Amino acid sequence: MNLANWARYGLAATLATAAGGVLFYKRQPHANRDAAPARSARHVRRFGDYRVTGATVSIRATADQIIDCWQNDATLWPQLEYLPFPEGNQDDLLLPPAELRAMASVPMRIRIVTRREGELIAWRSEGEGQADMHGRLRLSDNGSKGIAVEVIMAVRPPHFASALKTEAMMAEALELGLLRDLRRMKMLIEAGEIATAKMRPDAA
Amino acid sequence: MRAATFQGKGTIDVRHMPDPKIVNPRDAIIEVTSTAICGSDLHLYDGVIPGVEKDDILGHEFMGRVLDVGRDSTLTIGQRVVVPFTIFCGHCFQCSEQRYSACDNSCPVEEQEVAEKAFGYPLAGMFGYSHLTGGYAGGQAEYVRIPYSDVLPLVVPDDIPDDRLLFLSDILPTGWMAALNAEIEPGDTIAVWGCGPVGLFTILSAFQQKAGRVIAIDGVPGRLAMAESLGAEPVNFHETDILDALKQMTGGVGPDAVIDAVGMEAHGFSIDNIADKIKQTVGMGQDRAHVLRQAIMACRKGGRVSVPGVYGGKADLFPLGAMMQKGLQLRTGQTHVRRYTDELLDMIERDVIDPSFLISHRLPLDDAAKGYRNFRDHQDEWIKVVMQP
Repeated sequence: MNLANWARYGLAATLATAAGGVLFYKRQPHANRDAAPARSARHVRRFGDYRVTGATVSIRATADQIIDCWQNDATLWPQLEYLPFPEGNQDDLLLPPAELRAMASVPMRIRIVTRREGELIAWRSEGEGQADMHGRLRLSDNGSKGIAVEVIMAVRPPHFASALKTEAMMAEALELGLLRDLRRMKMLIEAGEIATAKMRPDAA
Repeated sequence: MRAATFQGKGTIDVRHMPDPKIVNPRDAIIEVTSTAICGSDLHLYDGVIPGVEKDDILGHEFMGRVLDVGRDSTLTIGQRVVVPFTIFCGHCFQCSEQRYSACDNSCPVEEQEVAEKAFGYPLAGMFGYSHLTGGYAGGQAEYVRIPYSDVLPLVVPDDIPDDRLLFLSDILPTGWMAALNAEIEPGDTIAVWGCGPVGLFTILSAFQQKAGRVIAIDGVPGRLAMAESLGAEPVNFHETDILDALKQMTGGVGPDAVIDAVGMEAHGFSIDNIADKIKQTVGMGQDRAHVLRQAIMACRKGGRVSVPGVYGGKADLFPLGAMMQKGLQLRTGQTHVRRYTDELLDMIERDVIDPSFLISHRLPLDDAAKGYRNFRDHQDEWIKVVMQP
């Protein structure tokens, strides 16, 4: 076999390998084709245009007590940064806390889309808000440590935030805020109060 | 109120600060009757613990009388209490297992992130011990706000003086837990590095827990003399090769358990310690871990290593190979104070132990700066400083 044949067969083999690779890649399930981004594990971080983030804590209480605190404890709501909470008596609507509202350029409406008793509540934003958002709060048994409470939120950021760095910063703030929110809820349920080092109530 | 405040590395000033008030339903306010300077306060004073801010009120060893109570407190006004330095809620998973110094809920959420980055998880709250542990105001003050006052403070009888009770807030349970972590079997030989207050209470506790021999290692003659008075065999590291001495004193076997009651500011002129000192000075490292390295090397095969000394960073040259190859067990942690206080109070009431022997100096709170300076610079005489606000 001369040198020209080697080149010819080599080129064919390379092209065949590349084509096989493309076919193999195409056959794999892709996260960004998922129609409900927030239901996947948050370590994926991204679903197409959506940034996925979240937080988890374990709380020593029953699932009902945890949901009850989130839905009915008015002392919790003013402390929340990003975790949406029930809006008065309108059963299927959640109210976005201030930090989450600030992410959208127009008022954000959030509607509960799935509710499985003692297990899961899922929501998504509606309307013309630029920041489209899906989220869910899932409860699962964690043995003697209580109930694992996981919140995952998938957010398609507003146009101005789509530059990658801004988007990453937004996701980081969201993740930290959700963790803080869950920890405040844990404190309120387990200890009956939210810890503070302030020395006077007017500064608390 | 007057309070000892941090004003920068090596600078303590007693200043007027706002009086604390009830903030949460489980709170109480106490009027401090006695407070002490702890060896670990010197880590803050020396600037080797991060997260201390100007005007932070220091002090985590204190006791006093209840002045005011929140709606859910179970204390009554006028009761006398000793307050553990580790703050805990009493209801989380960690508290349910009596790991009070690992409480999930006592560090304010907004203060948790730095510790979580440094250590993987946030820490429990502590009084007067930097914003890594919540930024709570400390007890070197006239008044202190006590969170979770229905579970945290130890109510003590009126007929026992402060001097015998004050150290239940930290160093006595810390010494006790250090000895427990060494899993002492009757007749064991225990080596304790550091004859400061915690080291001395560790020696006392080791004997209470049936150690046969305790070898005390330090470089300050006055402190070694106190260790000897408790029954320990003193070894001065300035005059002796410690590894050689310990081998010789234990028939070539090594101590059954070793206890590092020194922590992150070890002294001495070994090469590793000089390197650590340089790194600490230029901000490239926090821990001078010479004692821990030496203790691990000295421990017998299959022995136990207990570390009550405070560390805050990532020590270099950690002898992991010696740990693994000799099959050592390492136990450490901030003290779960309240787990041990009932038992220790009982021993004090029955005169089995009297912790007040440790007190070398008494000062008014206004002399806090002098107390800190001398406690650090004149360790031969200034063993333990107690202040009265």
